[in-house]
Amino acid sequence: MTASPQARSVPLAEPRTRAPRHRVRRRDWLTALLFLAPFMAVYLVLLVYPLFLGIWISFRDWDLMGGDYGWVGTLNYQDLWTDRNFWAAARNTLWFVALTVPSMTLIALLLALAVHGPGRIRAICRSVFFLSSVFSVTVVTLVWAMVLSPDRGLIAPVVQFLGGTPVNFLGSPTWAMPAIVVTTLWWGVGLPMALFLAALGSIPKELYEAAELDHASRWSVFWRITLPSIRHTLILVVVLQIVGQFQIFGQPFLMTQGGPANSTRTLVQYIYETSFRDWLVGYGAAMAMVLFVLMMLFSMLQLWLGRQGDDR
Amino acid sequence: MHRSKALAALALTTALTTGGAAGAAEIQLMRFFGDCQNDYGSVNDASEANGECGIITALVNEFNATNQGGHTVTVQTAEWGAYYDLLTATFQTGNIPDVAVMHSSVMPDFVSRDLLTPLGPLFQEAGIDTADFVPAALQNASANDEVYALPFDLHALLFHINVDLMEQAGFVNEDGTVRLPTSPEEFIEMGKQFEEATGQNFIAVESQSAEGMMVRFFNSLVWQQGSTTLADDGTSANLNGPEALAAATFIKQIYDEGLADPGLDYPGAEQAFLNGQAGIIINGTWVVDSYNAQAEGGSVPLQNYVATNVPALMGEEAVWADSHMWVIPRDESRAPEEQEAAVAFLTFLNDNNFEWSRTGHLSVRQSVIDSPEFAALPHRANISNTSQIARAVPTTQNQRSIYNAIMSDFNAMWLTGAEPQAALDSAQSQVERILRRANRGG
Repeated sequence: MTASPQARSVPLAEPRTRAPRHRVRRRDWLTALLFLAPFMAVYLVLLVYPLFLGIWISFRDWDLMGGDYGWVGTLNYQDLWTDRNFWAAARNTLWFVALTVPSMTLIALLLALAVHGPGRIRAICRSVFFLSSVFSVTVVTLVWAMVLSPDRGLIAPVVQFLGGTPVNFLGSPTWAMPAIVVTTLWWGVGLPMALFLAALGSIPKELYEAAELDHASRWSVFWRITLPSIRHTLILVVVLQIVGQFQIFGQPFLMTQGGPANSTRTLVQYIYETSFRDWLVGYGAAMAMVLFVLMMLFSMLQLWLGRQGDDR
Repeated sequence: MHRSKALAALALTTALTTGGAAGAAEIQLMRFFGDCQNDYGSVNDASEANGECGIITALVNEFNATNQGGHTVTVQTAEWGAYYDLLTATFQTGNIPDVAVMHSSVMPDFVSRDLLTPLGPLFQEAGIDTADFVPAALQNASANDEVYALPFDLHALLFHINVDLMEQAGFVNEDGTVRLPTSPEEFIEMGKQFEEATGQNFIAVESQSAEGMMVRFFNSLVWQQGSTTLADDGTSANLNGPEALAAATFIKQIYDEGLADPGLDYPGAEQAFLNGQAGIIINGTWVVDSYNAQAEGGSVPLQNYVATNVPALMGEEAVWADSHMWVIPRDESRAPEEQEAAVAFLTFLNDNNFEWSRTGHLSVRQSVIDSPEFAALPHRANISNTSQIARAVPTTQNQRSIYNAIMSDFNAMWLTGAEPQAALDSAQSQVERILRRANRGG
């Protein structure tokens, strides 16, 4: 995440060479470039170029099927300002991120702590918890739409048995988003759990042995050894989650189509609809820019917060 | 001797058939209407099929089995909600279908960008008589004085009625006809009586986001008052007038009074009606055949089924309608024999327009409408004048996003308790924004 002093370790003795210094330096440069080139090429073609193309398109009236109708200045952005559906989508997306990212991180950490360590049952649990991540979004949403269904679902009979009326989760503006959050948690918890497991595995055993000698409680072991040791992974997980969950699309698109009453339409779905249903690619690009800025701000904030601890 | 003669005849037939297939082409058909290959995959006679999906599947099979040119139509089906996105995508990927189904409300998007093949001269060559199309259908299929589509039906919104439940509530006249409300007040009053007498919902209707059945009902109610939701030239929205407010208020009241379950999606609403849990389902012409078959077949609790026009609740009779049409998307790389095959297929569909009208859709061919077999179809007497009261949304681009914008705001009325005025204001601003884009003169 941050450039620590160790990363730039300077060799104590300069290697002796006959070649003049500037030529060596140039050769180093060339080697570096050679190693960087494949990445740079991919990065420029697939990331930098589309980003700037996107910015350029967002200032034009660009039609998916009819081509480019020319420069419209900030019209797309002005339209965004008054587009209620856009703001609703932005609100829904933020709400989804606020619900998902903390709970996903917490659950992934708890699961990792529970299944970390030796033992066959733990190994089985590790695979089981990770397994849901291999399903495609279509399968996951299909399964959960069935689970949540008020007439044929898994939850409905339980509620009925207890004497209640089954909730139509996906048909209720209040419950549709939480239902999608639960689906997402079930689907996506595997990867952050795996990251936490890797981090937990790399904590030196000596630290725990020392803590044991000092009769430290399990709570303080977790709080003083485990958590600080996996801090960087924690930040990584949170940033990945923020970036990933801001782009939520498949789950609401397949489970609720953005409804009921607009309560689950997210930014990416609205961008998709604007660009590919209404063919307004320019307007869609402007929305994508806003999403990009939002994601960048939140990730930067997270990185900055993470760095605060390092300086201490 | 006899046998050798037969063999010779067989050989001759084979030779002729093979000879005829010289210009045979395999063409791609892209459509919605669902996939029912399991039930109708081997049915080669359209008259044996039922329902939209069954009939179109059997029609394609029949064409493949019987057409003189030896052409083959292969079908790609897409789900209704994703259909146009997929069709749009084919123009980018180059895998453009040779024939595609299209709603008349969507056609302006494609025509204005020159993405469809003009069909006028091709129809003339193939002997398709455009004068036989009812005027509304021909208008739907035309733009800028050119025909771009083969109209296949007009489909309108209807009231589908469970007569037994209506009788239980005392709404069946002496002559056996069902009494329907004539004003919003009477509608609500009857609904309350109905629910008291039967313990079931008066209305079943898709109320979630996918279909927007209530937007179609809303449009109908606004037209009944002599107004429109969009200006006739398609350049401005008219959702903040008193007519729109009256219609929206009435629709909200249906839910507020508990006459309809707001939690029902499309299959849920159908299920409720077929299970005898609702007196009336508001749905389109496309289900008449299917409901009728199920009611007669005894497979569902619904027994005594009748379809009627949406009653004139707010003035004159008027009802929302759209049109299914077949188009040949423009593709420069299409071989001439493929285009020929596509036109042959359209001709075949037009010749069999009656089979399609068995779904419950209104035929677009005057000759079919006037035919005795059309009149003999079940429930057609009640809806014989539907095409006269049918109204279509004005020709403008981006109808789908206009429809979706109104739908989202409307759902909020019964799902989150939004006030009709607020819902309409929001819809108005959304639609104005969309229209500003649609009318950039592109």
